[in-house]
Amino acid sequence: MSGTEIFGGWVAAFLTLAIFSYLYKDNPFYKIAEHIFVGVSAGYWTSMFFWTQIQPNLFGRLWPKLEASEMSGGLMSVWYGIYNVLGAVLPAVFPAGGIDKGHGMHLIYIIPFLLGIMMLLSISSKLSWFARWGIAYTVGMAAGLRAYGFLNSNVIGQIKGSAVQFVGGLPFFNLLGDSIFNSLIIVVGTISGLIYFYFSKEHTGILGKVGRLGIYFLMISFGASFGFAVMGRISLLIGRFIDLIDYSKAGYHHATIWIMIVMVALLGYSAFKEKQAPPPTTE
Amino acid sequence: MRYLEDLILKLGKLDRRWIFLIIAVVVALPLFFPLGLPIRPTNATQVAYNAIEELPENSKVLVSFEYGPSTKPEIHPMTIAILRHLFRNHQKVYVICLWPDGQFMAEEALNQVAENEFKLKYGEDYVLLGFRPGNEAVVKGVVSNIRKMYTVDARGTLIDEIPMMDGVNKFADFNFLFSASAGYPGTVEWVQYASDPTGVPMSTGTTSIQVNEVMPYVQSGQVKGILAGMPGAAEYEALIGQPGIGTSGMDAQSIAHIVIVLFIVLGNIGFFIERKRAKKY
Repeated sequence: MSGTEIFGGWVAAFLTLAIFSYLYKDNPFYKIAEHIFVGVSAGYWTSMFFWTQIQPNLFGRLWPKLEASEMSGGLMSVWYGIYNVLGAVLPAVFPAGGIDKGHGMHLIYIIPFLLGIMMLLSISSKLSWFARWGIAYTVGMAAGLRAYGFLNSNVIGQIKGSAVQFVGGLPFFNLLGDSIFNSLIIVVGTISGLIYFYFSKEHTGILGKVGRLGIYFLMISFGASFGFAVMGRISLLIGRFIDLIDYSKAGYHHATIWIMIVMVALLGYSAFKEKQAPPPTTE
Repeated sequence: MRYLEDLILKLGKLDRRWIFLIIAVVVALPLFFPLGLPIRPTNATQVAYNAIEELPENSKVLVSFEYGPSTKPEIHPMTIAILRHLFRNHQKVYVICLWPDGQFMAEEALNQVAENEFKLKYGEDYVLLGFRPGNEAVVKGVVSNIRKMYTVDARGTLIDEIPMMDGVNKFADFNFLFSASAGYPGTVEWVQYASDPTGVPMSTGTTSIQVNEVMPYVQSGQVKGILAGMPGAAEYEALIGQPGIGTSGMDAQSIAHIVIVLFIVLGNIGFFIERKRAKKY
């Protein structure tokens, strides 16, 4: 095993145990791990977004690699003149001769480029109003995009899916597979659940009874969600334990064991000192 | 009886840190001393397995990685199992990532399965197209024109220079989609913007917490089966006959569930005893 892998194992073991230490109480180990996580995540996401989208797909479309003859003359030489200035400052982002990511020139991409810059202006109190244009575009685009998806899959698709199939050779009762009985439960559950959320009429009489049935279906659904949530958390815990057990082996110089001993000793000493300290006085 | 009631009430006032410790012990012990509890595939896992098994050889399968290190223990075992199944059946695998950290996960999984286990050739048997930001806009882009969304792969190679990208221009050119999803963007977006509008069949593996959200699509047939968290991965490993991390964690999972159920039952008994005594006095 290489030195880098062993060092990585020690770092992973420390960060895992530092996060687990919060279960005892808030402490400096947890704070260190928390701050590293936030910092590394922000850095990683920014870097990924820049190098997988902004540089290849935005700058790559504004200043694609062209033949020298295509770059010369009139507006093109001015446009690539700007590029060359940017390239002198950031050669890794704007390499000489244009960005070769398989794109042609699409100057329409100046619009999203400007909208992006406007969103960044939100850090200035005087110019923050510019950000609204970028946000308005994003909200409008997302709303339009989602409307169709929800209508097609969540409304039409689900109505089709919850319809009872009396024809087609389904058995009347099958506990685990498709059956008419199971389809009926879905229909009853769907209708009673929807009626529970129908607030235009007081829930009395038949409406109240069906609504009450809807509550039971919802409760079963919440119970299933809770069960799945517990299962998921235990799975994550198992995943960390499997890694910690790996890091406790001789190949990693027993990283988990040593870090755990040091951490427990320091937290124990801190708790001991806290007990000995006189209670704070108020005047 | 009174003594037992007092004991249960006393347990209810236990410092929660003791409960954390008990959970830690019951999770750790089966990892050191496996019990080998049986794993029986559920209907949802079996449907997902059948959908992939029935694909003809050399089918173009898109695998989408939508998870990161925080959900790796749940999703990674199932992607490993799915990749093993696909490569064993000689399918062409195209990997894309809707999450930035999904690219790390995809690289790790492909290194392990495609390179080390199956010794396959990059660009001919599998390709990692990588991550693009934009959530559902990326899905829409893949549906309309994948070459506009991905002009280069994750290694910076031009798409036109990758042999297995010949004839792949849009989502409808794929035969199957598997979405390994831990949230948004993920399975729901693939159903809404890709699978439903184009009719390309898809299956999914999700975190446990997402199962209830995705299950209606499975029930209606919009998604062919679902692998539900780590147990789903273990069931799939059993179906392909190759135990992995999912299987090794299932003993711990089962024991932990029993202990948690016990805690819930004790907590409820304690609640009813307290209520009974409050009424009495």
